[in-house]
Amino acid sequence: MKPAPFDYCAPESLDEALSRLGNSPGAKLLAGGQSLIPMLNFRLLSTDLLIDLTKISELRGIQPHGRSVRIGALTTHQDVETSPLIRERFPLIGEAMRHVAHLAIRNRGTVGGSLVHADPSAEWPLLAVLLNARLQVAGLGGQRLIEAQEFLVGALTSSLSDDEILVRIDFPALPRHTAWAFDEVALRAGDFALCAAAVTLSTGGSFLTGGPRITDARIALAGVADTAIRAPAAERMIRGQRYLTLELVDQAAVCARDAISPNADLHASADYRRHLCHVLVKRLLGEAARSSAAFAPSSAPVVEGK
Amino acid sequence: MASGLKHVGARIERREDGRLLTGGGRFVDDLRIAGTLEVAFRRSDHAHARILDIDVSAARSCSGVVAVYTADDIEGDVRPIIAQSRMRNYHPTALQILAKEKVRFAGEAIAAVVAESRYLAEDAAARIEIEYEPLESLVDPLRSMAGDAPRLHENTPSNVVVERTFARGEVEQAFHNPPVAVRERFRFRRKAPAALENRTYLADYRGAEGFLTLYTSTQVPGIIRDALVDCLDIPGNRLRVVAPDVGGGFGGKTSLYIEEVLVSVLSRKLERPVKWTSDRLEDLTATSHGFDEIVDAQLALDDEGNFLGLRADVIGDVGAYSLFPFTAGIEPVQVASFLPGPYKIDTYQGRVRCVATSKTALGPYRGVGRPVSTFVMERLVDMAAKRLGLDPKALRLQNLVQPEDFPYKVASGIVWDRSGFTEGLASACDAIGYDALRSQQEQARREGRLIGIGMATYAELTGIGSRLSASPGMPFNTGTETAHICLDSTGGITAKFGVTSFGQGLETVLSQVVADELGVAIDDVTIVQGDTAAVAHSTGSYASRGAVMGTGAAMLACAALKERLLRVAGLMLNAPAEDVTFAQAAFSAPHSGREISLGELARTYYSRQGAIATDVKNELGELSASRMYDPEWGTTSSGTHIALVEVDPETCRVKVLKYLLAGDCGQLINPRIVEGQNHGGVAQGIGAALLEEVVFDEQGQNLTASFMDYVLPSAVEVPRMEQVHLDLKKPNTLGGVRGMGEGGTIGAPAAIANAVADALAPHGCEVTELPITPERIFRLLEGARHQN
Repeated sequence: MKPAPFDYCAPESLDEALSRLGNSPGAKLLAGGQSLIPMLNFRLLSTDLLIDLTKISELRGIQPHGRSVRIGALTTHQDVETSPLIRERFPLIGEAMRHVAHLAIRNRGTVGGSLVHADPSAEWPLLAVLLNARLQVAGLGGQRLIEAQEFLVGALTSSLSDDEILVRIDFPALPRHTAWAFDEVALRAGDFALCAAAVTLSTGGSFLTGGPRITDARIALAGVADTAIRAPAAERMIRGQRYLTLELVDQAAVCARDAISPNADLHASADYRRHLCHVLVKRLLGEAARSSAAFAPSSAPVVEGK
Repeated sequence: MASGLKHVGARIERREDGRLLTGGGRFVDDLRIAGTLEVAFRRSDHAHARILDIDVSAARSCSGVVAVYTADDIEGDVRPIIAQSRMRNYHPTALQILAKEKVRFAGEAIAAVVAESRYLAEDAAARIEIEYEPLESLVDPLRSMAGDAPRLHENTPSNVVVERTFARGEVEQAFHNPPVAVRERFRFRRKAPAALENRTYLADYRGAEGFLTLYTSTQVPGIIRDALVDCLDIPGNRLRVVAPDVGGGFGGKTSLYIEEVLVSVLSRKLERPVKWTSDRLEDLTATSHGFDEIVDAQLALDDEGNFLGLRADVIGDVGAYSLFPFTAGIEPVQVASFLPGPYKIDTYQGRVRCVATSKTALGPYRGVGRPVSTFVMERLVDMAAKRLGLDPKALRLQNLVQPEDFPYKVASGIVWDRSGFTEGLASACDAIGYDALRSQQEQARREGRLIGIGMATYAELTGIGSRLSASPGMPFNTGTETAHICLDSTGGITAKFGVTSFGQGLETVLSQVVADELGVAIDDVTIVQGDTAAVAHSTGSYASRGAVMGTGAAMLACAALKERLLRVAGLMLNAPAEDVTFAQAAFSAPHSGREISLGELARTYYSRQGAIATDVKNELGELSASRMYDPEWGTTSSGTHIALVEVDPETCRVKVLKYLLAGDCGQLINPRIVEGQNHGGVAQGIGAALLEEVVFDEQGQNLTASFMDYVLPSAVEVPRMEQVHLDLKKPNTLGGVRGMGEGGTIGAPAAIANAVADALAPHGCEVTELPITPERIFRLLEGARHQN
């Protein structure tokens, strides 16, 4: 379990890294190394040149930008988990970080590395599609911004070109009144999720507009498709509602479940994953609704003007 | 030096932990010998195939490569290695050091590259070209048993390599219309021992002296030495096998492996030190696996719940080779021989067939046979209790071997000496508050929660002496162990043992006993283990024998040494030896008016010329004693485990809420170590019950060859556990000690299986297969939903 031979360099600026990358087709970028190094050691991958990005300090850090937040690609999961800014603006992300592997891995693994690796069961792709993140990538010709859903192409595949480097991930602000919930089911604490889900429910409006309503509902899933995905039909069932009833929550969960066709693997069949999708979406919508008060506790039909 | 404290029975911190916990341990891979070459293997991609051609030319010309070997290149360097047994219907299969004409499991070694570093060796190994003719992969043991299945080994009559039946009483009669009968097919899936330290071997052959030293991460250096003497044709006085610190074994390091034979062969050929360090991929594919049986079992009872008879048919999937020395029979045969467990069952028939398949060999794994037999028997008992509407505790108490029944001969021939079977069950129930748990469960069920209580009672044979063999029919002595204890010229005490330590705390335990016998502090005793140069004969540590045999030998050797010391002290004190008293590391005699310390005695005896008369010194010689201990039969450890679990009916995940065990292991030498052993064993048992499974696909490829996919329990999944130590009549072993290192793994799978079954009872589901993973619980619940 030793890697095939490769050359190694550790540039100290993004420009230098881009030029090394441009000159070396077949090079691999090393960030936290939590997936790449095992793959090299198993000889599932080999490379002529390993470009270690960890000395490029401009790629690290968490910054406010207006009401949104920008996370440098080399920021570690642990940096995010302990960031006061994240805790204040995206407590959902902080919560999700507790499910990313184990502390030793969170201390090394990076946000950008996880997104580029694009494991369909990982937390970062799920968060990126849920929160409509935009990914800033740099190439020799300049920089471009990619929507999360376009960035995540398939299992272990992103739309990053061979000569590009992921620089930063922008998380646009959520509406002011947004409730959220996140959970996942894994075999053990810290394992890749058999199914992970996250929801947000944003409410808005006043008596002038006919009372508060759910203005935005998002449901994201991981572990049940080739990439992290949203459940748009289920979201539509909820958007615009004044209250969520148990029936509606269940219907939305069923809708999310019926829209997926998960793969089976050693640890979970497609049926079990579908089942988990239903369970998690139901639980999380209920949890988020309860915390936003947009919830009718009985299964009574929606009543106007409560 | 003197110590008035008694160490045996005390909760003493482990002596070895200082070094092991601070990175000071020295494992084989830590040893540095100048000029060492490293080996990488090219292993088979196929589970069963004929080798048509091997082309190593590209590998030979790779940078840093010293040599590349295939089977043909070492022909004549090593005699065949065949694990023998006196069992009838046992068909031995020879090990292949490197595969010659055929490969029989994916991961079998075909070629070895020796290079200046492991990196270079792996680069070259990747360039070896092998042409195969694939043969039918024998993955399903039922298929492999079929008459038309291809044979894995050409020299065996079929793929059934062991067949044996245990029988007592009129089985047909017992099962002819019994008032109550429960029957089920049980499946216990294959596990990997997964020791923290992967297997590592470093051979250092010195051509000038013709002397081979093998440093190996083994549990059994003596067995390895004796086997290598035979197969390498090197005399035993020029072959030393050393097991330094070893990072766990769990039975996976009790076999002679082809890799340790090969590094020895290559070191002799090249006259350079040669090392192989397994990586985790190799460990999970080429270290012996454990527990892989299909058991059809039925239990007959009368209307009052008395057991009338037990019948079982065990099919063991033993993989491709019969490992040396414990054979392909060790695991499945023990499933059948231990199945009646601690119960009074006069009528029993247990048939076992060990079936060769194109998989990694099955070997001993902590608990050997008994985790599976206990799972099956304890499930049957719970199923019967449910059928009869009896409490599982009551049904057990009624049928366990009662205190007045000991010694009790099990239908398979095993004899239980007095052990706390009923007392263990009663204490465990008392300590956990069993009746209160049952009412809490009622309440939880009304709230729709799936809470389950499971118990398992088991018995095991430990410290086996020379009247039995550690593996069925194994033709060599595993019944004795040696201690050599020496007082040197400075007053230092060194105690050498054959039993080895691979993390279980034996170094502490042995020094506790020696310290007490000689009245010194444990730090005054240096323990030497894991080195065949230390004692003339030993087999090592396995089968829960280390503490029983090691401390027994220590007590005998200390007594012999003391006798010698008393004679010397008498001469120095001008008193007859029988009048001399030895206490707190000092000698005194009535009217002598003075004391002689142990150190003073040693310095005087060895170093002061003329102090002791020449003829006496010529007769007494060194102040040391060596003794072997043979417990003759062995002794019975027993215990009861109780688990409280909750199953999430939606996610199908299991959480262990509470865990308690009560055990009878005789005299506790060190309660802290006993508890640590139980804790680790239960953790492994929980893994076996809920998570761990080696999976092969239809082609015989191991799909769980990394820790991503082979799912071990982590600290989060292992609950806190309470432990009760029974204080009953001690067994007849020296020191009253019983072995206890395997009980955790024996009791836990059954207790968890019963608890999960109990939790799922409202849905009418039975647990028949382990591990009971979330996926399997999902399918059980789905099945139940469709039936209703």
